[in-house]
Amino acid sequence: MRRYGAGSVHPGGFYWQWYLIPALLLYSIFMAYPMIDSVRLSLFAGTTGTRAFVGFDNYSRLFTDPLISKRFLNAFGNTWVFFAFHMLLQNVLGMMFAVVLTNRTMRGRTIYQTIVFVPCTIAVLVTGYLFKLILNPVWTGRILRDAGLAFLAKPWLGMESSALNIVSLVSVWQWVGIPTMMFIAGLQGISDDLIEAATIDGADSWKTFWKIKLPLIMPVVGMIAIMTFVSNFNAFDIVYAMETPNGAPNYATDIIGTMFYRYGVAGEHPTGIPQPGVGAAISTVIFIMLLIGVIPTLSRTRRKED
Amino acid sequence: MKKLLSLLVAIAMLLSLMAAATAQSPVVLTMGSWENTAAAVIQEMLDAYKEVSGIEIRFEPTQADQYNAALRLQLDNGTGPDLFYSRSYATGQELHDAGFNMNCSEIPGVLENFAPSSLEPWQADDGIVFAVPVAAVSHVVYYNSAYFEEKGLSTPETFEEFLALCEEIKAFGDMYPLANGIASEWDILECVYLGMLPNYVGGPEERALYEAGSAKMNDDKFLKSLEDFAALTKYFPDGFESVQYGDGPALMATGQAAMFIDGSWSSGTFARMYDFSDIGAFAIPAPEGFTPGMAFHPDYAIAGNSATKYPQEVKDFLAWIASPEGAQNAANHMPQGFFPMINAPITMDDELSNGILGLNEGRTLDARFIWPRMMDLYSAMRSNLDAIAKGEMTAQQAADDFAKLQADLLSK
Repeated sequence: MRRYGAGSVHPGGFYWQWYLIPALLLYSIFMAYPMIDSVRLSLFAGTTGTRAFVGFDNYSRLFTDPLISKRFLNAFGNTWVFFAFHMLLQNVLGMMFAVVLTNRTMRGRTIYQTIVFVPCTIAVLVTGYLFKLILNPVWTGRILRDAGLAFLAKPWLGMESSALNIVSLVSVWQWVGIPTMMFIAGLQGISDDLIEAATIDGADSWKTFWKIKLPLIMPVVGMIAIMTFVSNFNAFDIVYAMETPNGAPNYATDIIGTMFYRYGVAGEHPTGIPQPGVGAAISTVIFIMLLIGVIPTLSRTRRKED
Repeated sequence: MKKLLSLLVAIAMLLSLMAAATAQSPVVLTMGSWENTAAAVIQEMLDAYKEVSGIEIRFEPTQADQYNAALRLQLDNGTGPDLFYSRSYATGQELHDAGFNMNCSEIPGVLENFAPSSLEPWQADDGIVFAVPVAAVSHVVYYNSAYFEEKGLSTPETFEEFLALCEEIKAFGDMYPLANGIASEWDILECVYLGMLPNYVGGPEERALYEAGSAKMNDDKFLKSLEDFAALTKYFPDGFESVQYGDGPALMATGQAAMFIDGSWSSGTFARMYDFSDIGAFAIPAPEGFTPGMAFHPDYAIAGNSATKYPQEVKDFLAWIASPEGAQNAANHMPQGFFPMINAPITMDDELSNGILGLNEGRTLDARFIWPRMMDLYSAMRSNLDAIAKGEMTAQQAADDFAKLQADLLSK
């Protein structure tokens, strides 16, 4: 009698639906509904109960209003720079650390592993605050000058030319542990036989990496790429912690996340009157961009797994 | 069994009594505010009101930078506090325009006990007062008086003396003359430049000329103010580009800076950091030949929620705040450096705050120049000041840009 399912006498084939309901409910209430509602909000103007339907006006303001479009393009560009730092530096460093840390002949691996991973466990506000002090010549200038490193005593976070790069580097420093851990997990899954066979065939470690290790952890690389993309286009906290929600100095570190916060949630200082419609339009645009970026990558890694 | 039954009956009676007691319990009002650092002090003031009236008011502050958004959301959804702090000018009026504020013109004492200029920041175009003014703040220069004494320095009377003083401190080489920076992107405009401006421009009547467009923001007065500002920025710390507002008091406290241009609201912070005798404050001085002015800025008022369940109790509280007794009580429990706006002799027991308030004497007082009508110039002006401090712009260029911004605003 028992043919399908968990001890079921009525196979039916649809009993699994019941297991989906809790997740579906939670997802609809806390994810899908707010998202759809924010898309709806982006079609309205006004800050209070008397919201007026304005169609796509908020979107067109995002691209044509002289001030808002200037800020938006600036934030958009800055977000790409911020993302590039993570993609190119954080992930490549993570890969290098992972390869080194999976080297079996190395001593004190766990210690190094901990050192790389510890920053991830510190709250972003704390990291931001500490680096704000460290990078401020008013507080650390004397030490640097005494150490003969006077050229380092510059207001790194206050110069438009360096602020965004420095903030990105701090964020890279903090989060490099995540790709490292995931790459380590991927590399440890590679069978020793393969490496040994390659060594016997005369492949050096350089060749082993490019021809064996990297191709075998490609799915992990794809996943890390998606995670980096999504988390950096939604980034907000590190800039908020280090450079105020204005993206100081002079909007040099303003990214989409901080711009969204200013327009949609808090309003610009000092009036502090938010425009939730514009904020929702910004978040909808980010959402669409993320979809465009994520779907092709996702479907490609999916195909590989099949 | 009987015992158990009677016990149960007793418990049931007790419970119903308690329920009845809570049902008849006195009204509890809530008050929304951005003042979350001084919550305990303000609750004391509200407790004092409870002793007078029997009405309990709970102080429920939110994060200062999220206050506007949070309050708006609450009011929008009908869950707003019965009483709430109201910001001056446009931000406060926005809520009134949306119909959230009780009309305060009818509250006894409001029209009688406040000067028209004190009511104006919370007065709509139709003359309705939408909140009861409570406190104003001013902008001053704090200085390390122990250091001044040690070096034989004296506080300046004119702006020229101020610059000479800075030069002298710089020459000693052991402290930065000023602890101000530009990284927080507000204090450089609000405390430093708008603090200086009444010395150059004058009071509300003169400000009105600029608001009407009959005076240009690149005239001699503005140009002089920007030139003086440029001269002053030479005495900011090395790396002032990354010095934030919070670094200022810290630089003072660690003996790395001798002076800091800040708001009166910080007097409590400074008094706690130093022995009181080691900290002093002087007004940002006017240059020779100019009439001394002072930015005495209306900071906050308390408004009643028009949708409150207890309109009479809310009105009673607002009437109390608008009375000399209520204002005196508020002053007793106000964070240091906030000055009562009521037209009555209010005494404060804090010496440093009293000293700062005393600096108003003989000076033309006005709100921060752009607050009443020209708030849209805020970020552009601030960014020009940054550029002057960094040496990327001359005073003349900044003044011309101010005039252009002013013309753009007026043509809107």
